[in-house]
Amino acid sequence: MATGTDRAVGMGLVGFSLLLFTYYTIWVIILPFVDSDHVVHQYFLPREYSVILPGIAALILLLCVGTFIGVVTRKNRKPKVD
Amino acid sequence: MTKLLEWVFGVSVIGAAWALVTFDLLNLRLPVAYKEVAWPMPVYLLVVFGCYSLATVGYRVATFNDCEEASKELQDQIKEAKEDLRKKGLKM
Repeated sequence: MATGTDRAVGMGLVGFSLLLFTYYTIWVIILPFVDSDHVVHQYFLPREYSVILPGIAALILLLCVGTFIGVVTRKNRKPKVD
Repeated sequence: MTKLLEWVFGVSVIGAAWALVTFDLLNLRLPVAYKEVAWPMPVYLLVVFGCYSLATVGYRVATFNDCEEASKELQDQIKEAKEDLRKKGLKM
């Protein structure tokens, strides 16, 4: 069996992705079919945010990846490479 | 037909169906709820794919078995190789 922290991290990832999937599915697919005066609507942001927030997350991810590549490239540059 | 062409064809068919519903190009006058569900679809599918990938990686990290004997065997082989190289004059 995998060691303790491995199991905890792995199961944490599974749980987090299940939560995210459930919340996002209810937001995008279920809510349009629910009456607009139902109490569940107050737990969800307006619909536009269901596209804007993943867009911002993707931008942040790209920024992180680009920064990491930049830092590693600069660190490994031999002196006077130009 | 190449694989690339097949994929491009499939994606454009699905993309055309999505655009038809989202932008109401045929004036079908679908109920508002269907249009509300359709327009975030590309982003939704991406998020679902991301969740699935994350869950798969997490699950496989959690269930990966430690191989005690293989690890010990590998350590012994490393020690052996170091000894051998040291005898042949390589400084570690």
